[in-house]
Amino acid sequence: MPQTENIGSAVEVRNVSKSFGETPVLRDINFAVDEGEIVVLLGASGSGKTTILRIISGLESQDEGTVEFAGRDVSQLPARLRSTGVIFQSYALFPKMTVERNIGYGLRLRGRPKNEIDQRVNELIELVHLDEHRTKRPSQLSGGQQQRVAIARALAYEPEVLLFDEPFGALDAQIRTRLRREIRSLLKEINVPSIFITHDQEEALELGDRIAVLNGGRIEQIGTPYEVYMYPQTEFVATFLGAANILVGTFENGSFRSGEIKVELASTGHRFREGQSIKLVFRPEDVFLRKPDNLVQNYQNLADAVVEEVSFVGAFERLQVRLQTHDRQSIIVTRPKTETSVNPLAQGDRVSTGIVRFRILPNFPLGSETAAKIV
Amino acid sequence: MSANLSNLRHTRGFDLVKPLSVTALLVMMLPLILLPLASIFIFGMSAGLDKFWASLTAPDAVFALQLSLVTSFWATVFNILFGLFAAYVLARYQFWGRNAIIVLISIPTAIPTAVAGFALLLLWGPYGLLGQYLPDEYRIMFTPYAIILANIFVTFPLAFGVIMPVLETMDRSLEEASATIGASRWQTFWHVTLPALRGAIVGGALLTFARSVGEFGSTILVSGNLSGRTQTAPLYIFAKFNEGQVEAANAVAVVLAVFSFVIFSILFFARDWLEAD
Repeated sequence: MPQTENIGSAVEVRNVSKSFGETPVLRDINFAVDEGEIVVLLGASGSGKTTILRIISGLESQDEGTVEFAGRDVSQLPARLRSTGVIFQSYALFPKMTVERNIGYGLRLRGRPKNEIDQRVNELIELVHLDEHRTKRPSQLSGGQQQRVAIARALAYEPEVLLFDEPFGALDAQIRTRLRREIRSLLKEINVPSIFITHDQEEALELGDRIAVLNGGRIEQIGTPYEVYMYPQTEFVATFLGAANILVGTFENGSFRSGEIKVELASTGHRFREGQSIKLVFRPEDVFLRKPDNLVQNYQNLADAVVEEVSFVGAFERLQVRLQTHDRQSIIVTRPKTETSVNPLAQGDRVSTGIVRFRILPNFPLGSETAAKIV
Repeated sequence: MSANLSNLRHTRGFDLVKPLSVTALLVMMLPLILLPLASIFIFGMSAGLDKFWASLTAPDAVFALQLSLVTSFWATVFNILFGLFAAYVLARYQFWGRNAIIVLISIPTAIPTAVAGFALLLLWGPYGLLGQYLPDEYRIMFTPYAIILANIFVTFPLAFGVIMPVLETMDRSLEEASATIGASRWQTFWHVTLPALRGAIVGGALLTFARSVGEFGSTILVSGNLSGRTQTAPLYIFAKFNEGQVEAANAVAVVLAVFSFVIFSILFFARDWLEAD
């Protein structure tokens, strides 16, 4: 049978659906990972991200759809024949084997000659900097060291893809930040396509070349961290990856209208019916606060407001301000130190609010979020 | 007086309750366990070491001890293999009737051993349900094979009972990791699952073996109790005692007592080693 010529992506997941009993867990999942690329599947627990990982590795079977590695359909292959490297959350190192034996396990299973195994194990131990720990048992290593053993063990047999199942979940916040930088640079060095799953947005932004945001078994959006953060396509994406303020209004004469608020929309890119219910979505850091009648910036004026609460959150200041409109909705605003020192604000101050960047989404309160994607 | 005691009870550094309760524990154990065991040794040695040695090396005594060890060994081998298999199937798969099977496996612990022996006779004996159809050369009742069969029955749940909980609580991702690395089920079982069960297997084997060596109730029914042919060590002790040869009975009893002491010491003190990572 002739081999298909389509060897575009290292990993391609097509139309994958899965139910556990009557409960659908994944619906029509589609995404691809390129050679050397890191894709992060971001979602809350129960969003189906672990199931995707298990389906790619062959530990779970999909009800519909296919999984391809470099154009080769592996959907029907058992886990052991797929050649994936799974880094489990618990690392799943074999407790009775030393670091060296753990790393060499895949090569021993493949019946490689001893000198080849030794050489490869040495290379990997050097790569993950575990030289002085090579004869230790996993229980004698720290969490970070165990993780490096798990990665080396997976790399030993040159897998098609590395799959990381919440790999930083069991570690302290401080170590976590350092490790994910280390791992990202390691992955870039070895250029193996990788898929991470996490519920931590910061982790997703820092690790991924692209992020796929999952909600209720669907991919709501997939794109670079910049795209997903700056141009969220659904309310869920906007609020799950970073924080977002949402005002509900209608589309009137090329503008967003909500009571006294009117925001001009650029003429391109919006295909709404006159009077259609839409949402104005904007991030707390995209709001500018000025003393009234002190408007110099080129931002869209929102409404006058009163500062209700000011809190200091380390690197920036977080304010809750109540818009002086008919429904008196409050929004969240964050300001950097440079801004707060020039323009200090306190509770009770009256301000004008304006936004520099925003998204408009159709408002389907009962419809599915993916149906609400703008074109 | 009572005021003094209540003061003492809460005195830092000296807690009267501790030595009192340890002493009470030993006093309770003395007539129940320690004195009976001591009397075996005292009586066994009372006629002198020479006599003891002579009783122990009598051909029938040696044979009885050997028969006990050999039959127990094979019962242990079978029950470890069976226990591993049963624990693996029951821990890994959920199916209708699973709990019923667990209860069935555990039943032999609750059945009096004499009933167990009787049941085997009713099945395999010359007039038994199946035994009556067997040709003479395959009739195993009243042979050493019957003793192995009885030992298997009586110690059936012991190894399973030790292995099953370890397998059930084992991190499943170890086996999954092994599969994704490229191992077949058998390779995963051999390289990952079995090493994790090492402690449970050794522990289960020692328990099964110790219990088999001491088995009496079922063995006396199915073995025929023929001296020098199907007489195990416990049967030998009983027979010699009935014949009034207390020294002969005692010598073998001492060996069995020391033997159990050694096995349970290994179980206790080697636990850390067996379960170490």
